[in-house]
Amino acid sequence: MLLWRQFLMEWKLYSRDRAAMFWTFAFPVLMLLGFGVMFKGGDTPRLSVVWVKPAQLLAKDEALLKTLEKFPTKLLALSPTEAEAKWSRGETTVQVEPTTDGFRMKVNSYLVAQGQMTAQVVQQAFLISQSELQGQPLPKLIPVSMESPGHAKSANYAAFLLPGLLGMNLMSMGLFAVGMVNVSYREKGKFRRLAVTPLPKWIFLMGQVLHRLTVTLIQTVFLLFVGYLVFGIENHGSYLLLTLVMVLGTACFMAMGFALSSFADTSETYAAISNLLFFPMMFLSGVYFTLDAAPKWLQQSVIVLPLSPFLKALRAVFNDGSGLATHMLGLGIVATWAALCFGLAVKRFRWA
Amino acid sequence: MNESALRVRGLRKQYPNVLAVDGVDLDVQRGEVFGLLGPNGAGKTTTLEIIEGLTDADSGEIRVLGLDWKHHGSEIRARIGVQLQSTSLFNKITPREALTLYGGYYPKARTANELLELVQLTEKADAYHITLSGGQMQRLALAMALVNDPELVFLDEPTTGLDPQARRSLWEVVRRIKAEGRTVILTTHYMDEAEALCDRLAIMDHGRVLTIGTPPELIAQLEIPSVVELSFEGGAPPVDGFAAALGTAVEVRGDLWEIPTPDPKSLLPKLLEAAETARIPYQQVHVRRATLEDVFLHKTGRSLRE
Repeated sequence: MLLWRQFLMEWKLYSRDRAAMFWTFAFPVLMLLGFGVMFKGGDTPRLSVVWVKPAQLLAKDEALLKTLEKFPTKLLALSPTEAEAKWSRGETTVQVEPTTDGFRMKVNSYLVAQGQMTAQVVQQAFLISQSELQGQPLPKLIPVSMESPGHAKSANYAAFLLPGLLGMNLMSMGLFAVGMVNVSYREKGKFRRLAVTPLPKWIFLMGQVLHRLTVTLIQTVFLLFVGYLVFGIENHGSYLLLTLVMVLGTACFMAMGFALSSFADTSETYAAISNLLFFPMMFLSGVYFTLDAAPKWLQQSVIVLPLSPFLKALRAVFNDGSGLATHMLGLGIVATWAALCFGLAVKRFRWA
Repeated sequence: MNESALRVRGLRKQYPNVLAVDGVDLDVQRGEVFGLLGPNGAGKTTTLEIIEGLTDADSGEIRVLGLDWKHHGSEIRARIGVQLQSTSLFNKITPREALTLYGGYYPKARTANELLELVQLTEKADAYHITLSGGQMQRLALAMALVNDPELVFLDEPTTGLDPQARRSLWEVVRRIKAEGRTVILTTHYMDEAEALCDRLAIMDHGRVLTIGTPPELIAQLEIPSVVELSFEGGAPPVDGFAAALGTAVEVRGDLWEIPTPDPKSLLPKLLEAAETARIPYQQVHVRRATLEDVFLHKTGRSLRE
């Protein structure tokens, strides 16, 4: 009864904080819509190449241009001065310049990933055009098909991103909502004001935790709904396993918020400490992209942070419809974090 | 109902760098307004927080309403009301909601309407907390301390930071609380507040109680019930030669010379004559009764405001 009243009050006050509510619910959806549309699958993205117009168009140049048209490239022909201007503005990914006896190619060192891929395509086109010029049989290419790691059908970027955003939600709920609130309550003496009443303090904390849980639940359902509606993303796995993984993740990050809040006396200190954990996890745990290109040691070290194994398990169930048998080690890591943080929180939690 | 409201013996609390409470004894009777008067850092708040059960003492004995914290913690909490030095509430909670919420934490609670009327906040009942003025927030904090119909109310510096008008309106509320038959224990570093509100008070400094009594008693304890003041424009001149010529102590305080005396009637003619002879450029002469400020000055050798 008391708990229920406390829970309702938390919701009532939360609903008055429109800005916080907007960001909590709308931000993940905006991320999904934004990135999902930007990297929408389906037609292959066109790779842009700047072609520096030569004084005289030779046969080899014509042959390369003709071959490039068959590749998914977007060619932009510019005069040498225009091309240089574009290059120095940093807008060029790859620039191809015909010379008297061949070609020169520059790749923008800031855009290595995209640039190398484009350069490969240009190299292929060059080889084919050479064969054609010399009347040799054309080299054959290996056929490529797009498929998700779990052989699932819906394999666009939005489907990859959605579980990542679910993980982000849990992490920011635990680290920012729960942890930060505890520190500021302690800092402002709100816990002390409660301590002089006969209210058992666990009821107050429980009311808060329940409120956060329902917020997260609504957030999750909302995000899944938008994902389904806009991108047709579906859960390919069992809902039971999905729930299981989500519950474990929620417990882990909530405990982490409580534990972390016991190490800071002021909101400022807490912000610094929590960012120290939040940002590495956000960038290194595969929320927005996989870490295949990162050095081996980095890939292996982020697995000890809970977000990465959590997301791997979540994606295995959600995107690939597989079981959790191969993710037991990862889930064990998440569970260990949850247990450690919980123990630490219980031991160190302070009211004043 | 025969037990005293509060009985404290030998209270001590050591913090890493300071002995905050150094052997405090207190007795507060039911129905009285009892004040702890002292400068910042005197140990008033720590003493109060130990009595309220927020901080543990190193040693000492406390009986609140005849009960001790170890065995009757939740009963004490249900029967006392506490206003902390600062009360932090959610920005967008209304006074009515805050009172209802906190009332729900107690076995018995007064209605929000009744409390709002008592502290004169009825017209702000449904305004967000953040929109209240400092005085209104303080009155709400006071109402929250009364939500459980407590027998004993603790107010920690209830008027610090308020303008004179807001202070007076808060004093009015404290008088009503007393009229309702409750015991009030408050801390303050304003001696006018202590004089206006308290039936009895303890003057504290450096974690110790220096003296306890009613305000008139404390003043009467001084053997110098009157003070003659000479006021100057733009700072008082040094007193050295003059005090010697007059044959009595002269203290400089701001723009004033203060001459404590048991007998202003015979001092005055001598004083004025000496001032005339020494060509002292004073503006005005006042004779006033000694105040708690003088009691404090006398007991500690320094002013409350220092």
